[in-house]
Amino acid sequence: MSQTITIDPVTRLEGHGKITIQLNGQGEVENAHFHVTQVRGFERFSEGRPFYEMPSLMARICGICPVSHLIASAKACEAIMSVRIPHTAAQLRRMLNLAQMVQSHALSFFYLASPDLLLGMESDPKLRNILGVAAAKPELGRAGIGLRRFGQSIIELLGDKRVHPGWVVPGGVTEPLSQEKRDKILAMLPEAYANVGMALGAYKQIAGAFKPEIEVFANFPSNYLSLISEEESIDFTDGTLRLIDANGNIIEDGMTASRYTEVIGEAVENYSYTKFAYYKPLGYPDGSYRVGPLARLNIVKSMGTPRAEKELAEFKQLAAGPVSSSFYYHHARLVEMLYGIEKIEEILADSRILDKHVRATAGVNRLEGAGQAEAPRGVLHHHYKVDDNGKITWANLVIATGQNNNAMNRGVLQAARSYIKDGKFSEGILNRVEAVVRTFDPCLSCSTHAFGQMPLEISLLSADGEVMDRIARD
Amino acid sequence: MAIKIRCLVLACGNTLRGDDGIGAQLAEWAEGRFRDDPQVRVISRQQWTPDLAADIAAADSVLFVDASAKSPAGRVRLIPVSSRVDTSAPASHHLTPNQLLGLSRTLYGSIKSHAMLLTVGVSSTELGETFSAPVEAAIPRARGTLEKAVLRFLGR
Repeated sequence: MSQTITIDPVTRLEGHGKITIQLNGQGEVENAHFHVTQVRGFERFSEGRPFYEMPSLMARICGICPVSHLIASAKACEAIMSVRIPHTAAQLRRMLNLAQMVQSHALSFFYLASPDLLLGMESDPKLRNILGVAAAKPELGRAGIGLRRFGQSIIELLGDKRVHPGWVVPGGVTEPLSQEKRDKILAMLPEAYANVGMALGAYKQIAGAFKPEIEVFANFPSNYLSLISEEESIDFTDGTLRLIDANGNIIEDGMTASRYTEVIGEAVENYSYTKFAYYKPLGYPDGSYRVGPLARLNIVKSMGTPRAEKELAEFKQLAAGPVSSSFYYHHARLVEMLYGIEKIEEILADSRILDKHVRATAGVNRLEGAGQAEAPRGVLHHHYKVDDNGKITWANLVIATGQNNNAMNRGVLQAARSYIKDGKFSEGILNRVEAVVRTFDPCLSCSTHAFGQMPLEISLLSADGEVMDRIARD
Repeated sequence: MAIKIRCLVLACGNTLRGDDGIGAQLAEWAEGRFRDDPQVRVISRQQWTPDLAADIAAADSVLFVDASAKSPAGRVRLIPVSSRVDTSAPASHHLTPNQLLGLSRTLYGSIKSHAMLLTVGVSSTELGETFSAPVEAAIPRARGTLEKAVLRFLGR
């Protein structure tokens, strides 16, 4: 008699998803899926809008990573305009994207993941949250809040709003950086360094206790994709894409945004509204790959900043080739936060950072354009077509979560098979299966965040629908 | 020297979801009403995230402002908020006034002279930028309650 376990909703995520686990008659896991149950309609309702409106429209997709959408969208528009943006504008955008990465990673690590890591996967679920972390480790609670405020404050200083800033436009940015704002950001750096240093230290102290989770949290060979600079360093805003295989061999390099549209396909599965991106020459699902912090650190040869460089060297010691356990997304996230703070300091020292020339202008010079940027959770791709008047006739977005979709599903199955035996499961086991998804920090919501108002219920059903077991979280 | 914030008005609401935008609307009004008073700070968000605990810690008192689906439509309520955290409520990156106050106390040792929650009962939170008739009618009363509370917090 087969049975199905349903986890709905998956908690401590950006957005709404559920997990189903199918058991066979012996109570062993046959299959498992991570379902994204919400629908996005941005591609369709952007049709007919002037292309220059796209960045501000697309930023509304997400309340956590609007900056990456702004930048990828602006770059797609600039491909349509055939313009190259001024150096200072490129540097300011880079800083904005890094600030967003720091605040988003801080949210993921401290608010969503740290309850599992610091309090334990089996700890009291009523206390397994940011409030529990604050009570047990107040210094880390303050560090998390400090890092999130650091990123948000920079976004607010540059873009006048901490969510959905409209400062990035096709051709550059609307306002140059003032001396006063630069000084304010510089003054925030020492505390940010101290906070991320404390977080890295705490993570390294506790990571060793999670060896069983490291073994089965989406730990398998896969391909990896990320942006990389000409110097083979990490790059969140510019550069080209590199795809490597599970052994670190380069499959494709120097991939531009226009090339991406040729080689990346999107498969559809009937259990999820999120598509499954894959590298077309390898087919689906063999061409699936992982993106985000783990992929970026697996691909780059250097971080390009001194403190993060040391952390990268230590990270690379975790495996002979690419680090394959998705548990290490958490570690990679902390290294990237350190890099972001260092890079922001470096950008602020650029002698041209206060230049007033921050925007290039042009009309429609091409009828198609694509742009890409690294969102905190992975590569983000925008691709538009316009008519002669610059109105959008077609749009497609490939988001990071879709590119990690195959790996998340494989990871859920791997963890479920490891932990669920004889059809029995506990709240702690359920939490571990959810925690696999949390390592990827998927963003399902695209600007809707309702977790916290919904109860969690897991039912074990017999083949004829009879409830065999049930766990409810009110 | 930075001026001490004696009253933080912390509003929550989505202006694209009908009556849910009442918190943001009241925050906008408070911003104008207390524009010349540096001891009053107004923050309006679509959700109350944990990082706001630091803003609460920096103020002597806090007035939370929100829509309420539990109250009858148009009803204005002003109730005290305890910093003793109710652990039965879920907590992630969107916290209740009680949880935020508790977090601020845990992390920053912050104890408020006053902590109140002003709510307006809603009728509809469907997509739209207008208020229902009961909420529209309640706005003058809600503004009056907000103003009195802030002035009381300031000792005036």
